[in-house]
Amino acid sequence: MNYPLYIRSAPTENELKFHYMVHTSLDVVDEKISAMGKALVDQRELYLGLLYPTEDYKVYGYVTNSKVKFVMVVDSSNTALRDNEIRSMFRKLHNSYTDVMCNPFYNPGDRIQSRAFDSMVTSMMIQVC
Amino acid sequence: MSVPDYMQCAEDHQTLLVVVQPVGIVSEENFFRIYKRISSVSQISVRDSQRVLYIRYRHHYPPENNEWGDFQTHRKVVGLITITDCFSAKDWPQTFEKFHVQKEIYGSTLYDSRLFVFGLQGEITEQPRTDVAFYPNYEDCEAVEKRIEDFIESLFIVLESKRLDRATDKSGDKIPLLCVPFEKKDFVGLDTDSRHYKKRCQGRMRKHVGDLCLQAGMLQDSLVHYHMSVELLRSVNDFLWLGAALEGLCSASVICHYPGGTGGKTGARRFQGSSLPAEAANRHRPGAQEVLIDPGALTTNGINPDTSAEIGRAKNCLSPEDIIDKYKEAISYYSKYKNAGVIELEACVKAVRVLAIQKRSMDASEFLQNAVYINLRQLSEEEKIQRYSILSELYELIGFHRKSAFFKRVAAMQCVAPSISEPGWRACYKLLLETLPGYSLSLDPKDFSRGTHRGWAAVQMRLLHELVYASRRMGNPALSVRHLSFLLQTMLDFLSDQEKKDVTQSLENYTCKCPGTMELLTLPGGPTLPPVPFTKLPIVRRVKLLNLPASLRPQKMKSLLGQNVSTKSPFIYSPIIAHNRGEERNKKIDFQWVQGDVCEVQLMVYNPMPFELRVENMGLLTSGVDFESLPAALSLPAESGLYPVTLVGVPQTTGMITVNGYHTTVFGVFSDCLLDNLPGVKTSGSTVEVIPALPRLQISTSLPRSAHSLQPSSGDEISTNVSVQLYNGEAQQLVIQLENIGTEPLETLEVTSRLLTTKDGISVSGFPLCSPFRQVVRPRVESKPVNAPEGGKPGDPSHMKTLEAILNFKYSGGPGHAEGYYRNLSLGLHVEAEPSVFFTRVTTLPATSTRQCHLLLDIFNSTEHELTVSARGNEELILHAGECQRMAIQVDKFSFESFPESPGEKGQLANPKQLEEERQEARGLEIDSKLDVHWRIPSLKRTGEASVEGLLSQLVLEHLQLAPLQWDVLVDGQPCDCEAAACRVGDPVRLEVRLTNQSPRSVGPFALTVAPFQDHQNGVHNYDLHDAVSFVGSSTFYLDAVQPSGQSACLGALLFLYTGDFFLHIHFHQDSASKELPPSWFCLPSVHVRALDAQA
Repeated sequence: MNYPLYIRSAPTENELKFHYMVHTSLDVVDEKISAMGKALVDQRELYLGLLYPTEDYKVYGYVTNSKVKFVMVVDSSNTALRDNEIRSMFRKLHNSYTDVMCNPFYNPGDRIQSRAFDSMVTSMMIQVC
Repeated sequence: MSVPDYMQCAEDHQTLLVVVQPVGIVSEENFFRIYKRISSVSQISVRDSQRVLYIRYRHHYPPENNEWGDFQTHRKVVGLITITDCFSAKDWPQTFEKFHVQKEIYGSTLYDSRLFVFGLQGEITEQPRTDVAFYPNYEDCEAVEKRIEDFIESLFIVLESKRLDRATDKSGDKIPLLCVPFEKKDFVGLDTDSRHYKKRCQGRMRKHVGDLCLQAGMLQDSLVHYHMSVELLRSVNDFLWLGAALEGLCSASVICHYPGGTGGKTGARRFQGSSLPAEAANRHRPGAQEVLIDPGALTTNGINPDTSAEIGRAKNCLSPEDIIDKYKEAISYYSKYKNAGVIELEACVKAVRVLAIQKRSMDASEFLQNAVYINLRQLSEEEKIQRYSILSELYELIGFHRKSAFFKRVAAMQCVAPSISEPGWRACYKLLLETLPGYSLSLDPKDFSRGTHRGWAAVQMRLLHELVYASRRMGNPALSVRHLSFLLQTMLDFLSDQEKKDVTQSLENYTCKCPGTMELLTLPGGPTLPPVPFTKLPIVRRVKLLNLPASLRPQKMKSLLGQNVSTKSPFIYSPIIAHNRGEERNKKIDFQWVQGDVCEVQLMVYNPMPFELRVENMGLLTSGVDFESLPAALSLPAESGLYPVTLVGVPQTTGMITVNGYHTTVFGVFSDCLLDNLPGVKTSGSTVEVIPALPRLQISTSLPRSAHSLQPSSGDEISTNVSVQLYNGEAQQLVIQLENIGTEPLETLEVTSRLLTTKDGISVSGFPLCSPFRQVVRPRVESKPVNAPEGGKPGDPSHMKTLEAILNFKYSGGPGHAEGYYRNLSLGLHVEAEPSVFFTRVTTLPATSTRQCHLLLDIFNSTEHELTVSARGNEELILHAGECQRMAIQVDKFSFESFPESPGEKGQLANPKQLEEERQEARGLEIDSKLDVHWRIPSLKRTGEASVEGLLSQLVLEHLQLAPLQWDVLVDGQPCDCEAAACRVGDPVRLEVRLTNQSPRSVGPFALTVAPFQDHQNGVHNYDLHDAVSFVGSSTFYLDAVQPSGQSACLGALLFLYTGDFFLHIHFHQDSASKELPPSWFCLPSVHVRALDAQA
């Protein structure tokens, strides 16, 4: 079930690099989830924190209760983004995703093409940059 | 030291390093054969003790790494085995010299060395040398293993002595400072007498002794030494060596905890090879005293030789968690030294292996992440590849398949980096293939045919592109085509329009040299690449086997209803059967195909590409019956909607045929697409029976075919239709020609006809079949009288009427006939009858003769043309359009009763009403044939007949009917009817009245009276002729009863006294018997007698 429902990157050039980055980060997400016991899974924190740092970027993860994964890659040099900011961004993403899921015409598992979701992501990206 | 050994694991710390090298010219094959035998001796239980020695063999070892042997003794080459070929004694000294040169390389560290000489025989081999062994050839050398064991034992002796020597260094003696190569210059001029320096020397030596103990199989001792060393070195901040001591501690603990080993395969082998079970080995580990560091035992100025003094209660072994902490610490110390990069890197790798066993992937990934950032000196391309490969393997080990794939791909790209003069495309390709599982990509298109797409499409596409490129550069275009096909097939939904164009363009470029096939491709490594059928180019949505056209559809002679019912469920309807989808796919279709006839399958396809798609060689894949597929080529417009495609073929044999799929050639790639593998295909069954060949008839008619097709309610399908427009009463000849265009002979032919229900209450007469091959159809359509009593709706005479009929030709022949099949060819006839002329009224007038009468016909011309009407012997009557005229025809009366009625009709139709109708019809026909009323439209040159049928009232009929009693009056023996009979005045005239009874019963007796009269032609009849006419005898005649078909006559005589025209009126006496008979039966002719002068 690990395929992208939605992917956006701010500098659109070299997008594939981010694809690779997010793809490989799923290993860590898997590991973090599977490390938790069955009972803990239900009460766990959705925010997974920093998945792994690379030289230029930081990769953060968030997994909903239905195992939908959000991965955010931010520039390491961006010091304005601390854990709390990342956390709130994920929460916003999650809320917006919930709205998408509420759309009766959306098929779970399809690529997200919601305009609302799109504009939310755009606004978040503008805020960060 | 610059060359890292990525394969290292913690257990390697307890091994002795032995280098095995060839000298002179030794073939690789021979060398490795011996090397393999040597390396099989990897652990030795030392004589007289329970200790086990582990040996690590290397056939290549950089001498610079050897220089770090003091730092970690397992890096030190302690043994050298040299293998050489030597065939003559003359070469021997030279060979031996080479051995010595070889020894020099590792000379400083070697404990012992051996030379294995192959091929030399003779007296030289007799010399008793321990370091040289002679073997006649590479096959005949059983003693190699034994030799190695001896050699290892000798190594052990040196090791043990060194260990003891170092361990028993007295505190009074000056302990030398061990150091790594890059440290040497740092210690120049250092105060060697300081406590600090001494401690450092002690710590390092302790660490070194620990290493030796570990190698010598004294695990617990080594733990103690390492602990002490850690304490010593920590106090003097000697970080590099502190790290080494910690790592040693970790290694020893790992060996203690995980006797199975951490190094994967090698570890497993080691465990299997061990003569002692893991647990037992743990318990009886040689020299395994229960040791605890006693801080008091740590003297400040020396090393206590007796470790037994430090025996405590708890084990010195680290707990699994501690191992990792210590590794972390060690690595952090190593990282302080740029020159110790390799050590740090290897420590990371070792720690990762331990963590993998502990299943702590997250921690392991941190170590690996760290390892990634360790910058060694400028690496060669080969080293980079090795490094990325090993990173990939380690990630795989901890279950990070994606990360593993990522690094493997990086390694693959490194193989063909632009800086490499000879890019290793083959290696690149091989590595890329190994990354596939990490990207959830298999090369079997079946895995992608159902459900949602698996994996990360963007990344997968990139990988596939790389595979394509690598395989092309490898010089294997078949692989490129296969990968590119796979890319197109499975990633179609993710390709942009431009990418679709690009991919197909390059695919076409490849396939023009190497067309894509459906064969399995075997990769160099052994795995196979399954074929990639283009099931999405075009996408097939529906597959429908088509029945033969109605005229060619075979039909079974006898109804098979009974059989069908028995095979099916006893229920008329069962929802279980109705919803069994699995069965639906393969269920048999209830029509048949015929051997030798072109059969069709219709596919609904669409083209998902943004450009025109050319599909060539598209044909059917079938099984069960020999089938000659006739491939089609099609061109689908860009992003077409559903598009019907009909694939045809000819079954060559009989039996059950199953349509399994279709084949195509798209962009030069041959594809066999099986329906079973197609997602979302609707099919109404794919198996159909092929029956033996039947003849084929082609029908042609003298009249042109019409587009108007009959749609009979019975469900028959009409193959050919003929439409004709006729005027009422017009006759049209239709010649039907049947031609057998099949290969089978026609054996039977049966022609039947059927009238369809006609509208407007048209009565049709005559549809006779004359000959099976020549059919004359004479539809006779008459309009009913306007006020037709039985017609619910008053028929408008000017209204056009249609008549529809079907001619069926049932035929069979050849093997199909033997099987009981036939074919049915139907010809639909559609006749539109326009009104021509019709009779608005029919009346009769009596003629002069009793045997005749006048028929008055009011004829109406309902056409828009002028037409002429003629009856038999009459003049033509010209009627303008819409004109009505009366026509008078003198006709002989008819004796209807005498018409023979067809026996069949009489017997079956007992219904008196029907009988009456038939009689009426027969009368009408008779009258028509007598009258022979024809019309002709000169302007159109069309002719026809008109009929009075249905117009004749009972009264008219009676008038037209000849009475069953025929009366003949003969004057002077001459029958006298209308003409005047001549006689002479004064002469008696013989009068005879003759009765012929044609009625079915006897009539009579009758009494007749003759009354003469003269007609004054002014309406006055003078009956008072007693003076003029005299009867000879009685004027009244008497006739006896006459039997059926009997005849009777009565005679009398008349005497005319004057000349003149006389009429004789013969009338009946009222009689009770005659009252039963209709009066018209007693219609006697009036007799006209002209009495002439006797002289005249």
